[in-house]
Amino acid sequence: MAQQDIKESISITSDIKEIRKVSSRIVGLLMERMVDKALIFDIRLAVEEAIINAIEHGNKRNKRLKVKVSFGIDNERMEITVEDSGSGFDHKGIPDPTEDKNVLRSHGRGIYLIHRLMDRIEYNDKGNRIKLTKYIKKQ
Amino acid sequence: MQIKISENNGISVCKVDGEIDINTAVEVKKIFDNLIKEKKEKIVINMEKVDYVDSSGLATLVELLKNFRKYGARLKLVSLSNKVKSLFEITKLEKLFDILDKEEEALNTF
Repeated sequence: MAQQDIKESISITSDIKEIRKVSSRIVGLLMERMVDKALIFDIRLAVEEAIINAIEHGNKRNKRLKVKVSFGIDNERMEITVEDSGSGFDHKGIPDPTEDKNVLRSHGRGIYLIHRLMDRIEYNDKGNRIKLTKYIKKQ
Repeated sequence: MQIKISENNGISVCKVDGEIDINTAVEVKKIFDNLIKEKKEKIVINMEKVDYVDSSGLATLVELLKNFRKYGARLKLVSLSNKVKSLFEITKLEKLFDILDKEEEALNTF
């Protein structure tokens, strides 16, 4: 029997400790639907990385600024939109962390992982909103 | 997150229990900095009980590797879950790290 489609939205302050509030809810929804654990791992990681970017690069860790996370799930896919209050950043300007000259660098893997783990990524023109889509399947 | 460190024939065996991510990265670094201060030369990190690593966790492990290499120490990672191992593959970090399936293999190959 098909489960009910769900759409929700959570706003958090720009505090790393707040991230778990969102990812726990999303992981809970996926577990309720018996989504494969490997896919849950990928979605959790992509969501947390997207929120970390929103807090650190978008809102510059300004705790007065919010990060809004909207998400929806149906029997085919999970969609998650993460929006910060910053002026946007150029996601195309990030160096490839897997190139030999970059592989020993400490940073720059978050966005790369999101792109590798999700099925579709969309940005708004301003660069302060990212939409992630992952197709899910039952175990 | 907890890290238990024991010595086995001059090899420091570090069993990590928990997640290595943005919440624990500072603590992980602090614990391993003690091994660096003591100039330990053979280090095994057993990740059997690590079920989640994010980009901050990967960055922390890269920093550790660089710091160990500065004085010629060797680091081996063992017992990674399939998902955690896949992150090393996706990011090409598997080429930098010595990754083995079992702790015994690491202990026998220093």
